[in-house]
Amino acid sequence: MATIQIRGLVKRFGPVTAVDGLSFEVRPGTVTGFLGPNGAGKTTTLRMLLGLVTPDAGIATIDGMAYRRLPEPLHQVGAVLEASSFHPGRTARAHLRIHALAADVDPSRVEDVLHLVGLTDAAGRRAGGFSLGMRQRLGLATALLADPEVLILDEPANGLDPEGVRWLRELLRGFAAEGGTVLVSSHLLAEVAQTVDEVVIVDHGRLVAHGPVAALTAGGTGLEDVFLELTKEASR
Amino acid sequence: MTARLDRLVRVELRKLATTRLSYGLLATSAGLTALWTTLEASRAGTSGGPAPLSSYSGLTSIVTGGVWGLILAAVLGVIISSGEFRHHTATLTYLAAPDRSRVLAAKAVAGAVGGAVFGLAGYAVAATVGLAFTAARGYHVPIGAITFVNWGFGHLAAGALLAAIGVTVGSLVRSQLAGVIGVFVWSIIIESLLGGLFTALRPYLPYTAATTLAGTPLGSASFGPARSTVAVGVPLPFAAAAALLAAIALTGAAVAARTTVRRDIT
Repeated sequence: MATIQIRGLVKRFGPVTAVDGLSFEVRPGTVTGFLGPNGAGKTTTLRMLLGLVTPDAGIATIDGMAYRRLPEPLHQVGAVLEASSFHPGRTARAHLRIHALAADVDPSRVEDVLHLVGLTDAAGRRAGGFSLGMRQRLGLATALLADPEVLILDEPANGLDPEGVRWLRELLRGFAAEGGTVLVSSHLLAEVAQTVDEVVIVDHGRLVAHGPVAALTAGGTGLEDVFLELTKEASR
Repeated sequence: MTARLDRLVRVELRKLATTRLSYGLLATSAGLTALWTTLEASRAGTSGGPAPLSSYSGLTSIVTGGVWGLILAAVLGVIISSGEFRHHTATLTYLAAPDRSRVLAAKAVAGAVGGAVFGLAGYAVAATVGLAFTAARGYHVPIGAITFVNWGFGHLAAGALLAAIGVTVGSLVRSQLAGVIGVFVWSIIIESLLGGLFTALRPYLPYTAATTLAGTPLGSASFGPARSTVAVGVPLPFAAAAALLAAIALTGAAVAARTTVRRDIT
């Protein structure tokens, strides 16, 4: 099973340092929440981990290898980074069939993941007409297509209805229970508290806290209060 | 990292086949070609129009006049690469195939396949219009079957190479609108201006070299005052024109692979 490792990651965009020497590790069999205020560097970190953004320093690996060096990346990592990365004129089924071909998985798997995310009835509709929640589900279907060992999700609960949020929670818990590694960024702290085992909290591109949710909230303080206190301290 | 190129090409071809834009562009190409060649054929043999359709040069100017298929093949190439940024699909594409140079190569090959279809479709429409007018006027066809076949192959090669160049243009500029406008401005205005002002340069201009492959007489694929209904100057030999276009596509791809294709996907 695959471990995610981030070591001394740095990324600057002009004068702005988006990620500043960030290091943490995500172990298999756990769901880890990646938390931070807007602009904290979460998305940039995830994009560096996935080889989409080149770091100025440091390394990010999955199972000991940079994403770009993974032999069959979609079989090892499923990722959802934005809810709208679909051609609006392509149907959900056509989109998934393209990615099944890219991942070299059996096309029959497309129907499996459509069923899994509850989009079977909408499979023939063009993605451009989907609601945000449906787009999130299609993104998750894409991520799960090649049955990966690692899930990396950026705000996957955005746009999901309460039933969808519960479904996502059960999906992530089940994935981790089978030994999978999950790194999920979110602003929905109440939901995070119910879903994740550990949290990584960042602010201004730096690590603020990392540990089990139970340990951070041991004093009876809720995750939201802990988060606000830690990020307020970091901003001082 | 090492996704096979043939799989990536099949992915890109399937992307092309599953969007309405591809078919709309092909229909537009066929429609424009039909309109253009019908207008030209109806003027053949009149003052200021092409030579009569009973002559080799007259029928040639119509049958090899499917230039819209070639221009829109380049547009197709631009859309294949720049569309990834317009629709934010580049993220998923590079997650599936992190080797971006390989993705660019696959897009160029897929673009070439699509461009070949555009080139052939334009030729089929133009040839149909030209032969229909020739028959309607009671003329014998003054051109041999082998020449028709050669022109068909030329249109195929020209469409394929222009589409591959379009893929590199789209990779370099990333903006779909700018890339598409650039193709039209270059082929309709800039090449006509440059070709009209510097006739010695004309055979070496990419759109003109593509029309040379298609058998279009030099000058008759230009627009505006630079257009001529009779051949002006000496076109490049077929192999030289093909090599020129391939060199432009490869150079553009090499520049894109070292610059824009490497940029962060944020």
